[in-house]
Formats: sequence, C-alpha cells, structure tokens
Amino acid sequence: MREPNAIDFWRGVALVTIFINHIPGNFFERYTFSQYGISDAAELFVFLAGWSIGLATRGRDGKPEPRLTTVLRLLSRTVEVYRAQITIMALALAMIAGCALYLDNPLILEWHNAGGFFADPIQTMVGIVVLTHQLGFFNILPLYVVLIAIAPIVVLLGRVSRPLLLAGSFSLYGASLVFEWNFPSWPGEGDWFFNPLCWQLLLVLGFVSNEVSRESSRLRAWARRLIPLGCALVILGAVLAVLELRPDPMLAPEPRLVFTFDKTYLSPGRLIHFCGMVLAFQAVYGLIAPHVGPLARFLSGLGRNSLAVFSMGSLLSLAAQFVRFQTGGGIIVDVSVVGFGLFALGFTAWFVEWRSRKPRAPRTPPDGGVASAASPRA
Amino acid sequence: MPTPSLPAPSLPAVAEALDQTLSPECRVPGSKLYTLAKLDAVKAALKQKRPVRVLSIGSSSAGLGASSSYPVKLETALETALPNVQFEVESRALPGEVASGAGERLRTIVAEVEPDLVVWQVGTNDALARVDLDTFSEALDESVKWVMSHDIDIVLIDPVFTASLAEDDYYTRMVRAVQEVARREAVPLVHRYAAMRYLSTRSSDEAHMLGRHFRLNDLGLRCMAEHATRAITLSLLQSDPAATGTAGGRAATSESRDPGKPQTGAPTGN
Repeated sequence: MREPNAIDFWRGVALVTIFINHIPGNFFERYTFSQYGISDAAELFVFLAGWSIGLATRGRDGKPEPRLTTVLRLLSRTVEVYRAQITIMALALAMIAGCALYLDNPLILEWHNAGGFFADPIQTMVGIVVLTHQLGFFNILPLYVVLIAIAPIVVLLGRVSRPLLLAGSFSLYGASLVFEWNFPSWPGEGDWFFNPLCWQLLLVLGFVSNEVSRESSRLRAWARRLIPLGCALVILGAVLAVLELRPDPMLAPEPRLVFTFDKTYLSPGRLIHFCGMVLAFQAVYGLIAPHVGPLARFLSGLGRNSLAVFSMGSLLSLAAQFVRFQTGGGIIVDVSVVGFGLFALGFTAWFVEWRSRKPRAPRTPPDGGVASAASPRA
Repeated sequence: MPTPSLPAPSLPAVAEALDQTLSPECRVPGSKLYTLAKLDAVKAALKQKRPVRVLSIGSSSAGLGASSSYPVKLETALETALPNVQFEVESRALPGEVASGAGERLRTIVAEVEPDLVVWQVGTNDALARVDLDTFSEALDESVKWVMSHDIDIVLIDPVFTASLAEDDYYTRMVRAVQEVARREAVPLVHRYAAMRYLSTRSSDEAHMLGRHFRLNDLGLRCMAEHATRAITLSLLQSDPAATGTAGGRAATSESRDPGKPQTGAPTGN
C-alpha cells in the first residue's frame, strides 16, 4: 500500500468535496472550495487521473512499461470504471424508485433526470448502457470511461512526442469549443454534462505535467516561481465567485464558449483558474502533511481507492438527499448525514484495501512473510 | 397572427366551469390552471411568420406508458391550438438546483438554443434538496429577469401536486414562491400544482398499479403539455388588445384571486 502522498491526498480532497457538493442545500456545501472559485473538484479529479496514468504506466524504476502492457492495463481500468458506472446507475435508479414507493411520493421519480427512465424504460435502458442517459450527479464516470478508454493513445503518443500530443489535444479542445462539438444525450435531447472532447485536455495536461516534472528540474523550479501568479488567479477566482461575476453567455462574442465559464465545455476561464490552483497549491501538501498526519492518512486512503470511494460517495450522497428531503434538513441532519458519509467513505477505502490484501497475501513469496502475517493460511 | 381556431377567451363569466378545450381527463377550471401575461417575443415571431422556437426546460418525462414524451406532446398541442403556426420545441433537462447554480446552466442552454419562448417547469430539484426558499426565489427571479432581458418570453410551470406533500409546509411555500416570482415578473404561469390538486378531487375509474398518487402523477404529466399550451395560447390572445392600449395591464390574471394561495376551491388533496 502506498504511503500518504500529495496526489492521493488531493484526490481525497476532491472526493470529499464532490461528496459534499452532491448533497445540494446541505450546510457544509458553502464551505467547500468549489464555492470560492471558477473551477471545482471535477477539474482536480480529472487532472489527477491524468497525473496518475503517467505514474501507473511506468515501472518502479521510472522506465516506461511495454506498450502492450500499458494498453491492456488501461483497457482493464476502462472496464472497471464502466462496470462501476453501470452498477451505481442501477443502484441509484432502484434507490429512487424504492424511495418513491416507500414514501408513496411520485415527485421523487423526477429526481434529476431519472424521470426519463421511469417514463420510457425501453429506450432509456439502452441509453444507460451506452452512457448517453446520465442522471444528474452521476455524470462524471461516463466522462471517466471515455477518458481512460482514450488514455492508451495519450500515453503512447506522449512517448513519441509530447508537443504532438499537446498540439492534438489543444486542437480538439479548441475545435470543440468553437464548433460546439459534444457527445449527444439519448433518448433525452441535449448533450453530455461533461464533454469528453474538451475535458480530455485536462487529462493530457495532468499526464504531461507528471512526465515533465519527473524529468526536468528546471521546469519544477519554474513552477515554483509561478506560485504568486497562481495565488493571484486563485484570489481573482474567489472574488469573481463570491461577487457572482461571470460573463453573460448571450452577450459573449462568438465563439461564445471561449468567453463564458461553462462547465460542460471546460471553458478557458475555468481551465486558467484551475491551472492557477495547481500552481498555487503545488507545495501545500509538503507544508501541511507533517502537521495533519491523521487527516493526510484519511484523505490519502480515500484517494488511493478513488473509484470505490467515488462510487460509494455517489450512492451515499443520493441517500443523504432523500434523508434531507424526508426530514426537512437542518443542521443536525446535515451533520449526521455528512458525518456518517465521511465515515462510510473511510470504511470503503479500508475495506477495499483489506479485501485486496486478503487473497493476495498467500501468493507473495515467503520473503514477504511479515506483510502476509495478517492472513497466514493459503 | 394568432389564429382563428380558438374560441375567444371568455374570462370572468364562466370562471369555475371546466375548460372544454382540454381533453376530458385534463379538464380543470381556467382559474386553477393559468395566470396569463404578455408574450411579446412569440408574437413578434408570429408577425414575421416564422417558426416559433420553444425551449422546454425541466423534467421531460411523460408518465408511465405514455405514447410520446412531454416535449413532443407540447409541440403537438401547440400546433393543434394554433394550426397556422409552426412550433419547434427543443427540450433540455436542467440538472442541479436553481438555488445553487442551475440558473447558470440555464443561461448556457438558452444561449445555445436561442428560443423565442422558454417553458420552464421549475422547482422539483430544489424541493427535493430542500434548499433555502429565499435563495430559491431570488435565484429564480434573477433567471427569469435574465431571460426576459434578452427579449425572450418565459412561461413558468409550478411544481407537481402530490398528496404525500399536501400537508408539507415547505413544499407549499415553494409552490407559492414560484407563483410569487411569476407575478412579480409578470410572466404566464401554469398552475400545475392547483390543476393536479383539482384533478385529484375528481373520482376516476382509471387505476394505477402503483396506487392513487402515481395515477394522479401520471395524469398530471400527460395533461401538462395541454395545460401549458392553454396558458400560452390564451396569453397570446389575451394581451392583444392591451398591446395597443395601456401597458399597465400586464399580468392580468384569468380571475382575480390571491396569488399567495395555490388553490382556493378543493379543501384537501384527498
């Protein structure tokens, strides 16, 4: 198991933030960093995904692993993420339906785009499986499936030429912004909430940042020097967010999406703000980690098991929404549901690691005897 | 120009009579169905004899086993009511709560679709999240103002009525908040809550496998397109004389009644 580290830590922060923000109206929502900037935890999550792909596709010695291994590894990861999405969608729809039946309240069937499924299960079932029907709050994993699926191209192209990779990625991003390309929703009208054609850029940036920072100490030094710029962008973002200043999309000149703060298309404003966040916070983990040991361990644990934690978090936040709805909310309810949720996320992370430790232990050669002491029998 | 096929709206005299232009199962007295107001952008489109672009926002569900979805029904109902006019209905789900950022998303969608009219079925997500009602009202008001500031008409549809929430004070206040915003901004409002509440009092031999509340919900969804269409067509007709005369007559209600009360007639939802 990895020691606590900055990547897992920040991923844990993103997971907790997403969990809390997915219980709309709750007391703690206003204290998440998403409320004080233009970009939010989704950007952080995708960027770190790119970063970790860089780590995962190299051996311990830092050498790139064989190409076929990379392709298979990422393919296997794609299958895992897809499976998670299908599972949580099924569970979420069952929770919504069950809750509507139990409370005898059809309003609940209309929960964030679920109505389409209950009204038209024949088409919508197909839409769920091909990821074109997404529930509100359950739209990040479809993006993730697409991004991991294209990640082999990113990694292999990146090994050939990073400028080429960046150029391709930026071109696709730019063209999607200008021509408003997106993946369609179906059977409902509209498009994906997270546009993979735009968000791929963040994955690529995460991947390239990791590669570059590993190799070039000069670039690392430059990144440090840019901390003040990052801080300035973060402050600017906070001011704009608090004063609710943003461009009016009807007044923005064409191509409109370049000038608005659009989440679907990851508009440049969001992207720049996020880069500012990365610059500003790059050294923070190193500064605070020694002083917040338990917290760093907790958040890193979540980050190490991000897929399981994210999936559980999605379901827990849905359950929390129903609890808040039925009880009417209030600070006591909010403290309880968020507190329980955080505990359950921590348990999920622990449980996943316990499960993966168990069967693997016997397979370790005898020299790993200390590590496998917990489960000595074959 | 608005059209021949509709009977002139005979407003005050038959206030409590059922609106006979609606399908039998959807019939509700006009007073429980709509608040009318001007729709200038749609009129302009009609004058230019071009198709009217309608953006339908909110849940697009149609009820279990319905033959077509709500947006399709809305388009059909509008074209039946105004046979000489072509309507193009686009629909979008609006994820998130109005009180926390869905208004932002709405702006993006409106900018993308550039409609003449927005038909916004509002409040469900916010009610489910039990957001702060003042924040909700403020955000809704702001969004409505924004849409109007770009010379786009907007019609609001208030949240559904369901018996399990009939006594829920928060929910009733939420419905009232939507009515309040519609009144303040002088936009047409479809009283989905009151209409369904009225329908719930009428006996029916139609059963539903999930029980009474679900049957009503189904019916409400099926009727919503018709109800919205009625509010839109009457708003178009109704503001005609006022357009040349005093502008003060905006937001004329189909019947003068307290907008603070979602419903006056039927005592309870049962």
